[in-house]
Amino acid sequence: MPTEPKHRDDNLMDRFDRDGARRFRARDALAAVAIIAAILVVCSGASIRKAGQEMNSGVGRDAVLAVGRPAGWIADKLPVRSAAHTLTAWLSPDPNLSGLSGFNQTIATGATVGIPPVTPDAFDPSQIGAPAPPRRPLHGVLVTGDSMSEPLDQDLAQALTPQGVHVTQDPHIGTGISSTVLVDWAKLSQYQVQHYHPDAVVVFIGANDAYSMPGPNGKLVNCCSAEWAAIYAGRARRMMNTYRQAGTARVYWLTLPTPRDSARAKIATVVNAAIEVAAQPWRDQVRVIDTVPVFTPGNRYRDSMTINGSPTIVRQSDGIHLNDAGSVLAGRIVLAAVDKDFTR
Amino acid sequence: MLFPSVQFGIFFPIVLALSWALMSRPALWKPFILIASYVFYAAASPVFCLLLGGVTLWNHAAAVLIDRSKSEDRRGFICAVAVAGDLLALGVFKYYSFFVQAFARALHAVHLGVPLPLITIALPVGISFFTFQAISYTVDVKRGLIKPASLLDTSIYLSFFPHLVAGPIVRAREFLPQLARPRDPEHVAVSAGLTLIGMGLVKKVVIADYLGRTVVDPVFGVPHAYHAPDVLLASYAYAAQIYCDFSGYTDIAIGLALLMGFVFPQNFNSPYRATGFRDFWRRWHMTLSRFLRDFLYIPLGGSRGSRLFTYRNLLITMVLGGLWHGAAWTFVIWGAFHGAGLIADHAIGGRFKTPGWLRWLVTFNLIVLGWIVFRAQGIGEVWSFLSRLGSWGSPTLLSVPVVLAIVVAIGPQLLPPHPLERLQGWAGRLHPAVLAPALGLLILFVAATVPSTGVPPFIYFRF
Repeated sequence: MPTEPKHRDDNLMDRFDRDGARRFRARDALAAVAIIAAILVVCSGASIRKAGQEMNSGVGRDAVLAVGRPAGWIADKLPVRSAAHTLTAWLSPDPNLSGLSGFNQTIATGATVGIPPVTPDAFDPSQIGAPAPPRRPLHGVLVTGDSMSEPLDQDLAQALTPQGVHVTQDPHIGTGISSTVLVDWAKLSQYQVQHYHPDAVVVFIGANDAYSMPGPNGKLVNCCSAEWAAIYAGRARRMMNTYRQAGTARVYWLTLPTPRDSARAKIATVVNAAIEVAAQPWRDQVRVIDTVPVFTPGNRYRDSMTINGSPTIVRQSDGIHLNDAGSVLAGRIVLAAVDKDFTR
Repeated sequence: MLFPSVQFGIFFPIVLALSWALMSRPALWKPFILIASYVFYAAASPVFCLLLGGVTLWNHAAAVLIDRSKSEDRRGFICAVAVAGDLLALGVFKYYSFFVQAFARALHAVHLGVPLPLITIALPVGISFFTFQAISYTVDVKRGLIKPASLLDTSIYLSFFPHLVAGPIVRAREFLPQLARPRDPEHVAVSAGLTLIGMGLVKKVVIADYLGRTVVDPVFGVPHAYHAPDVLLASYAYAAQIYCDFSGYTDIAIGLALLMGFVFPQNFNSPYRATGFRDFWRRWHMTLSRFLRDFLYIPLGGSRGSRLFTYRNLLITMVLGGLWHGAAWTFVIWGAFHGAGLIADHAIGGRFKTPGWLRWLVTFNLIVLGWIVFRAQGIGEVWSFLSRLGSWGSPTLLSVPVVLAIVVAIGPQLLPPHPLERLQGWAGRLHPAVLAPALGLLILFVAATVPSTGVPPFIYFRF
């Protein structure tokens, strides 16, 4: 049996007694928690449901949805939810994406019938031996994506800012092109272009992408079939089209270095293939920067590699993301590509 | 599982209800709370439950062997082996990559390149905290301050979910006596617990995350993009952010424990009120300070020797304390900086009559300077950041909400008597039926400030 402390310690364990904190019954604690839970369900039950929908499949998601679905149903039936939203919406730090068209809304492309036309934009001048267009001054860069884009955004900002280039860092952690629950990248990319007007956009995204997406007939398509890859490529292409701003801007889209986990590696392979396909109509403006040969040659995962002759760990312990050193290297590769199009 | 998350919002009420339902029957309550704590930990990474279980078994076995041993030498040997095992686990998971890479580069620099296994190892959440608690348990048994607990009690002590992932570092002799008999269901500090949870949420989500998002991350990320006013603002904003982030977490942890009938030691006591480094460490992360004092500084010899001997011990303690925060040279430098501050305190303390406000001003600004090193990703970034102090230009990040957040975080610590503690004391006497609706509405407003990408992890989770 443990003994009581032999001397009075400086742990202030008696502070609640000393300060006169009032004591209640345990059932008061339970009642208090029940009141708090009731308020949250009535006012914000839909948020609990949404949080469950955003989670990856598993026991945790099932548990949250088991509470979130009835909580959301209750909140939907009561008028309190909209009043609570009106009262608190002004506090949200998220960009307002209302009024912008998302992935699930159809857009008129004018090229849905017959064979899509091939335009000169599909050819990178270097592919056909044509002279490169003159380089333009670089004023603004947007670095965006999911958690893959961190700390790449910071590395690029540190490299470019001293040269007078304005770098907008806009990572959206936990998001993916295949899921619109957290962020709809179709809307977000429009918002980014409208607000930041970048000359160049660096995109590094895909770590979370394995969500089922609605196909052309509205039926959900699971990862990672050719059908899924086609839908993914369509979404990525739509973002590329937004970012290239009718050809006035350049897009640098990084592929995913092979992850350690074999299941994730398979997803990364499909995502990377989809990115290559997505960029085809605008090879002149959308540069796909393939990180696989640099970090994981032959799609073989490795934690470390030699950089400048020195052995260096380049991946984070999750086996997915690049660490600081890896990100610096990726940043150098991006800058080399940017320098072919811009002066700084 | 983060405290401010939907998952925890579902987990905790269920556990709380079952905990009180089973409390009067320890034979049921103890296995239940152990399983609940492991479920909580498994939400981060199930595989690391094995590590937590291994550390528990290792230290329990050591404590039992120490207790059975009559020879003091043998007791010391077993204790040393147990502590070495704990430090080995901590070292492998936390420092392996850092030291092997540094060693490989050193070898490479002298053209002795030997292929070393440069691999990344995932850092188990809370390893720094539960290994330290395990060490404190084994050493306290060796010192005769406590008797070994049962394996079940030791397991609950090390895994109890309110303190599992980021402290406070609760000593076995503070926690195990609370397990000795069921918590009294007629004597629960409900309102004090609810108040702490509310204050913790506001500190973390409203103040710390807001300052991090709007000022600290942009400026520390790219100092070159900002001039001196913004850099200064970011320095003070980070001081406010790290205090609100960590003390907010601690408030929530202590509040949750109170609702379950347990008391944890205090971890913060208005740290920015300090008028010296020694004073600061009596107020900041108090449970770590006590641990470093009792298990490192005093065993090193403490102040039982010459002045130089004391200074050496202070420096070693603080450098290792800095390294405890993470495998990076910036933490080593930060620790050495605080060690130097403590030495300076020791050397000049009481020799000069200086007004209290001046001592506070110097201490506070030195602490903020130390935070710059602590926050930076590397030594180069420290210089980049500090060099911008010489670049004058107009502020771009200064706004009323930012200033308000900094003032609200730091200001109340400076006013006597501490207004936040008075507020806490007043709310702690209200009936929970009054407090609960207020906290429910507060959570609604706090949740509205969370971006769609969720609440960022607590800063101390990575330590």
